[in-house]
Formats: sequence, C-alpha cells, structure tokens
Amino acid sequence: MSTREIFDGRLEAALLLAPTAIVSLVFLYYPTALAFRTSFFDSGFGRVPEFVGLENYASLLGNPEYHSSVLLSVIFAAIVVVGVISVSLYLTFLIHEVDAGQGWYLISVIWPYALPPAVGALVFLFIFHPTLGVLTGPIEALGIELDWFNDGPQAFVVVALAAIWKQIGYNVIFMIAAMKNIPDALTETAELDGVGRLRRLVSVYVPIMTPTLFFLVIIDTIYAFFGTFAFVDLLTSGGPSNATNVLIFDLYREAFSFFNFGTASAKSVVLFLVVAALMAVQFRLTEEYSYYGA
Amino acid sequence: MTTITLRNLRKEFDDVVAVNGLDLTVRDGEFLVVVGPSGCGKSTTLRLLAGLETATDGEIRMDDRDVTGTEPKDRNVAMVFQNYALYPHMTGRRNVTFGMNAGGSFTDEEINRRVAEAAETLDITDLLDRKPQAMSGGERQRVALGRAIVRDPDAFLMDEPLSNLDAKLRIQMRAELTQLHAELGTTTVYVTHDQTEAMTLGERVVVMDDGRIQQVDPPQSLYDFPANRFVAEFIGDPAMNMIDVAVEEGVAVHDAFRIPLPAGNAADETGSGSETESLADPDAGDRSHAVLGVRPEDLHLARERPDLGETEFDATVDVTEPLGDSLLVHCSVGDATFKMSAEPRSSLDPGGTVSVTYDSERLHLFEPETGEAFYHSATAPAPSDRIERVVTD
Repeated sequence: MSTREIFDGRLEAALLLAPTAIVSLVFLYYPTALAFRTSFFDSGFGRVPEFVGLENYASLLGNPEYHSSVLLSVIFAAIVVVGVISVSLYLTFLIHEVDAGQGWYLISVIWPYALPPAVGALVFLFIFHPTLGVLTGPIEALGIELDWFNDGPQAFVVVALAAIWKQIGYNVIFMIAAMKNIPDALTETAELDGVGRLRRLVSVYVPIMTPTLFFLVIIDTIYAFFGTFAFVDLLTSGGPSNATNVLIFDLYREAFSFFNFGTASAKSVVLFLVVAALMAVQFRLTEEYSYYGA
Repeated sequence: MTTITLRNLRKEFDDVVAVNGLDLTVRDGEFLVVVGPSGCGKSTTLRLLAGLETATDGEIRMDDRDVTGTEPKDRNVAMVFQNYALYPHMTGRRNVTFGMNAGGSFTDEEINRRVAEAAETLDITDLLDRKPQAMSGGERQRVALGRAIVRDPDAFLMDEPLSNLDAKLRIQMRAELTQLHAELGTTTVYVTHDQTEAMTLGERVVVMDDGRIQQVDPPQSLYDFPANRFVAEFIGDPAMNMIDVAVEEGVAVHDAFRIPLPAGNAADETGSGSETESLADPDAGDRSHAVLGVRPEDLHLARERPDLGETEFDATVDVTEPLGDSLLVHCSVGDATFKMSAEPRSSLDPGGTVSVTYDSERLHLFEPETGEAFYHSATAPAPSDRIERVVTD
C-alpha cells in the first residue's frame, strides 16, 4: 500500500482534523466572538447583560487612566522587544564564537525559558527582592537603592528585566540556528579583511539573519503584550500606583477584580487591535528589509 | 611581493595529523599550486598560511617576519574560497570595499581608485551594482577575485576557486588567472584536487598525500620524473601503468616480456624532504622485485610506431575506449594489466592479440615497498630551480 492511500475518505480526514478544529473553536474562536459581543453590553457578575452599543468604547476613549495604560504597554513592549532581541543576539554571538563548553552556555541561557512564567516570576523575585534578593546586596553596593515595591520606575524596569530574561532562551534557540547557517567562509573572509567582531556581527551576521530576526520580533511583540501577565501579577500587581499596569493586567483586573465584563471585553478588543496594527507594520517592514538569500 | 617559508609545519586535529612536518619555500611572485587527493592536508596548509588555523608545531615566515602566531588580519594575505564567500546582502561594490572600509586604513579616494582599477582588470564594472544572487558562478568568482586584489595583499591564497564552475568556464577562468598573475606578479598559493588545473596553472606544483609533501617541481618535471609511485599515479590521466617485474642485468623481466632498460640514469633526488642519496644504476644491482611504470601514451601498437625499435611483446586486448583524439586500449599480458593509447581510428577487437612496443626513454622503476622511484630512463634535466632547491635544503 502506498502512503498516498492511507486516507480513503473525507470522513476519515474530517475525524483526524476534528480534535484540532474542536479545540480551536471552543477555546479560541468562540471566546473571541463572545468577547467581541460582550464588549457591546453592560455585563457584570450577577447582573443581567444590557446592550449599550459603543458606550464601553466611548468610556475607554475618555478615560485618561486607560490612555496611560495603553502608552505604558506600548513602551513596555518596545523595551522588552528591543531588550530581548539585542541581549539574545549578543549572547548568541558569544556562544557562537566560544570554542569550549558551547553546550553548557546554551543550556544556561535557555533554561529560564523552560520555566513556567509563574515560576520564573518567583525565581526573579528571589533574585531581586528589595530586602531578601540574592543580587540585591551587590546592586546596592553599586550605589543603587533597590526599592521597587514603592518606586514606580524601578518596578517597571524590574518587570521589564524579568520579561526579557524569561524570553532570551527562546530567541537564542532560533538565533543560534540562524547564525550557524552562515557559511564559515564569510566569517573567515571578514577575519582576513580585519573586520572587527562587533562590526562582523552587525554588518555581516545580522543582515543575513533578518528573516529569523523579524520572526522573533513578531513573536516577542506578542509575548510582550500577552505573555508577561504572570510577571506583573506576581511581582507588582500593576503597582506601585499603576506604574506597571499594562493592558493585559489591566483588563484582567477589570474582569476578575471589578467584574466589569463588558468594559474588560472592550479592553481586550482594543488590545487585540493595537497588537494587530503593530503586526501589520512589522510585516510591511519584513517585506522591505528582510534578506532572503539565494 | 613576499617569500613564504614553511619549516616543519605541523597541524593536528585531536588525534588526526592533517599536516605532517612541511618544509617548503614559496618564492617571491611565484604561482605555486598544491595538489593532492581529498584529506591530504592541502587545504589545511592553506588555512595555516592564512592564519585561519593555528599550527601545532613549526614555523611560517613571510619574508623576514615570523607570522606563525599572527592574526589573519595582520598577515596581509587575501583568500579566495571555493564557494566565493561573497556577502550575499551586499552589492558587488560593497563586497569589494567592505574589508577596506572596515580595516580603516584606506581613504575613500584610494578605495574608489583601487576599485575602478580592479574592476577594469577583471572586467567586472557592470557587476559592481548587482548583488551576488544576480550573478552567475563565474561572475561571482570574478568579484571575489576583485575583493582579493583590491587590497594589494602580499600573497593570494586560493582554495579550489574554480571547483564550483562548469567545465567550460573553468578552462576560461584558468587562462584568466594565469593572465592576472602575470599582470600582478603577486605570490600565489593555489590549492586544488584537479591535477590538470595544477599542471596548467602552476609554475611549480606541490604534490601532497597524507599530510606530507611528495614532490615539488615544475609541472613537466613532475610528469616526467615522478619521485614516487603516488606522484606517478596521481599526475597524468589516464594514470601510469604499474607492472611488477624483476630487474636482471639491466633488463626488466616479466613472465611475458623482457624490457631492456637504457643504462645509467638513476633517479636523482626528486622527492621533497627525503635525503639525497646516490642511487644505483639498474644494472649495478639486480632486484627480484621492482615496479615498472610506463604511461599509457608511451606504449604503442608496434605497427603504428615501427621507429621505436624491435623490442615488442604480445598482449591481449580486453576493452577499448575511444577518447576521440586517441583510443585507450586495456590490455593484459600474463597476470599484468595495463592501458595504452593507440591511433584513434585503429580497429582492435577485444580478445585479439596485439604487438606492443614502448618508448624506451620513458620508463620508470619504483621500489615495491616504499614506492620511491629509483630509476628513470630519460636523463633528468637539471633546471636551475631544482639545483637551487637541493642546495638550499
């Protein structure tokens, strides 16, 4: 029997597709549609939903606290994406260049990615806790007063650092694969020409790696908006005084602390639109600047 | 303009010895070709010269500088790779200038002038604004050459630069390389596995095997006076015939034939690195075992070459291969098989018997164990470079 004849009917094909289709429908498309619908209702815990049209959106438009949360999220995402990409790129480069113990370096860089976000957040808390943290002493020895339970900007930096630290492993896995694909002869030519190491990374490696890098920018952007909830929740709970109240945490609180399902749904639709708009821009840039080699 | 000297150069990768004690001088302005089978250490040698590998032992000198431990960028050599190694995202011009810009030791004017010169020399002006993707293999290799010459290096190191080109283009580029070298006169070390390329390009050719130099000589000397069996069989296509014989009173004796050896031309020291020793004439000592080497083109059908004298023997035709310009005949005589070339339109039937004669000036004898040549029937010319080399060794 040839491999072509394994599926002998549409029914069998449908059966095989069913698990994926059902999971997607029940846990992805149906909730999406429901959230979209709920955003037009005044809906809460124990209340009868009442159709209010665009009122939820209108109130978001006039809410300065929400505006600052949007701005905060965009800045947060920008810092996380730039941070993750540049730190991962440099670490990848170092690992790529090192002769001995490459595997060990790789493992130590990748392991934070293997942790569940909540565990990652707790580990980070142990490292940077303002009074008990492992690194708190050394950092304060440099003259920096660690007080991020009260200091808003510090809290923002700590959450961003945690988010970057967690995502580096994922990026390094892709980057090391892309970097190893670059022919050795290019590296050797650059060495013979006296091209410096950083120059080689920036002018030779990065352009060749652009397809991988753009993919990672997209993934990291989605991560920065959606995947960092656990860090905010466990490290700062959006505080102090909303300094780390990013959209994903804000809408969670709206829904499950204040039980305003209608407003929370409107917020999630806005978050979806913000990320979608950024994706559109990034895809345009990808087309323009990505190098897909011969 | 640089003389490169290698002394007892050695490179080991873990427990594999890639280069095993090389002694070699590349003369100022010379086009030296290193040839050998895969894994013979020729590419490693080139990479040692470039500084891309670190020598385990030994010394590399460029003129008076000891560069053994010098960084690649400080050696002022340019390398041309088999896969061209062009930066795929840069235009031809950027590819040529990137190294100069990054090195920072050239002014913009200087760079422009040199690029224009190199582009004219190599006829790549049209390619400067294209990316490698939009170039053919030959065009890419030309741009890669442009990148090498624009820096005016002390030496060119070329690692099989023509291997990725198709046969026709390879022949054309071969001629262009020779011309380019004549124009620039830069010391060039060229590595190839293709013996035809080695013969046509090299002023001298280094034959390597198993990490060691087997022979260094001008192409014709290599062909006419191979230092050992390896060189004899590696250089020349189809390869030299090797037949086990005994030597008795100046005659190579085989069950099926006897070939008198013209007296008095013992092989001189043609191998590299081995000691010069006075080798006996074939009639000075009889040997029960020796290997007779004769190139296929030095064996003839007796009826085609009556001028070669009367010594002939009969052989059986096994197979014939028409090559166009000649007919390659596989023959057997007793337990030995050999190939010979005949006139292209000779009609020979497999299974038939032919009368074979040979050019008595073109016979070689090798030691059966070591493979060293101990006799060539032609008198070796003593070109100046051979004498010089023996003296300097």
